[in-house]
Amino acid sequence: MTHYLTDPFQYMFIQRAVIGAVLIGVLCAALGTFIVLRRMAVVGHALTHSALPGLVIAYLMGGSLFAGALIATVVTAFGIGFLARDENVYEDTLVGMIPNIMFAFGILLISTTRSFRDLFSMLFGNILGVTDGDLRLIVLIAAVSLTALFLFYKELKLFSIDPNYAKTIGIPVQVMRYGLLLFLSLTVVVGIQAVGTVLTNALLVVPVAAARLLTDRLGRMMALSCVFAVLSALGGVYASYYFGTASGASIVIFCSLIFAIAWVFKFIQGLWGRRKS
Amino acid sequence: MKFPYCQHRHSRPNPNAPALEIKGLGVSYSSEGKYAIKDFDISIPVGVAMALVGPNGAGKSTLFKAICGLLPLRCGTISIFGHSLGASHHRVVYLPQRSEIDWQFPVSVLDFVKMGRYVYLGWFALAGIKDTAMARHALKEMNVSDLADRQISRLSGGQQQRVLIARALAQNADLLLLDEPLNAVDATTRQTVGEVLQKIKAKGKTVIVATHYYDQEEGLYDGAIYLKDGKQIADLNYKDDPSHKDCDCA
Repeated sequence: MTHYLTDPFQYMFIQRAVIGAVLIGVLCAALGTFIVLRRMAVVGHALTHSALPGLVIAYLMGGSLFAGALIATVVTAFGIGFLARDENVYEDTLVGMIPNIMFAFGILLISTTRSFRDLFSMLFGNILGVTDGDLRLIVLIAAVSLTALFLFYKELKLFSIDPNYAKTIGIPVQVMRYGLLLFLSLTVVVGIQAVGTVLTNALLVVPVAAARLLTDRLGRMMALSCVFAVLSALGGVYASYYFGTASGASIVIFCSLIFAIAWVFKFIQGLWGRRKS
Repeated sequence: MKFPYCQHRHSRPNPNAPALEIKGLGVSYSSEGKYAIKDFDISIPVGVAMALVGPNGAGKSTLFKAICGLLPLRCGTISIFGHSLGASHHRVVYLPQRSEIDWQFPVSVLDFVKMGRYVYLGWFALAGIKDTAMARHALKEMNVSDLADRQISRLSGGQQQRVLIARALAQNADLLLLDEPLNAVDATTRQTVGEVLQKIKAKGKTVIVATHYYDQEEGLYDGAIYLKDGKQIADLNYKDDPSHKDCDCA
């Protein structure tokens, strides 16, 4: 039986896919914890959609897709942050508006390429197609982002619970906010490699939502989210290898299954608790 | 090696300076908008408990936010223990109204109270045994030691208020700004908060409490500042206490 688990590893592209998927999963889950708890899931959703025109322009110009997506998401994130400083412009309106414009622009550009294969891989990702260069970039972004999360964990926690108190003790909350948006942009860009622009937000949110059902402590929640994301990433890669399913969609389906199991577990636990009392 | 948060300086209080001195203060939420606080002057000596009285929208929270540096000053000056704003973050603590905190965040009560120690830790340092002991002591002072391991979302309104004050005690600040701590809390919390106010005062600390129920709580305070539509409508109203003779009382 174990050969089903080990056989795929004879191929280099599977080894790269597994390493890439696990790193992306851990990164999305760790950062996603703060994104979910700060009610920024909708911003993550906006950034994933905003990456598309950057990807397409980079593709058309023969440049780096990572760089194209990164520029588009960072510009969107900071653009929303900057425009929202005007009290007459609501942030949720911008979040609902700008990404749709960017996504429409991306689709418009794709329509000029006359290739639906390109559209499919950009929208839904292809972790099995990760190259050595892509992997190096994923490792670099994961290392930098996770180190930053570790170093500023205490401040992120306070900034999320009580931003005013954080500000009164001298924590630069605006810098923290933009920093979080920057790391969210970086995470979205590497997430796109695994699950594409449409599904990356699911990788940021679903493992955290499942973990939130099972624990009420931040540290445990982050750890559980990472475990769920890694299991989903591995499950998605195996499903893609054995059944030829789209890797991105498979990863997200595994995330959703874990969420469903967590929800049922919580529901039964609640019933059991009521019965005992 | 310590990496203090920006603008953080440990200034020693000037021994002859009042706890809080405000001159000609003007605050607004935008640079050209209507003044939320205007022409405000006050001098509060060290070691008193003051009520900041006024109806909703009078500018009580705005004044507190200006004192602790959350809002920029449009005109006037604020000095705390003889130092300018921002020179003594650790000496001032602002307790916001409970609705300004995300009580659903997954942390325990003890972790929440330990956040009162962050101002001393700065970047990269983690809370140590001493910080934990101070947080536990603060919980004990507020009679909520038994809640230390409870998730903050499972607290009642009164318990939330006591935990917020415990965080302020853990910070060991000298000037406490409490924004309506007795609003919508149970009788036990009301009594505990009253006792703690007396204890804080006995330690030589200064407390200002925003309230619109001054009549019911009058016994807790040494005097009151009355505020309406962002303007001070009455001077300090100290009781006959000889230690307060040197202030600009009415």
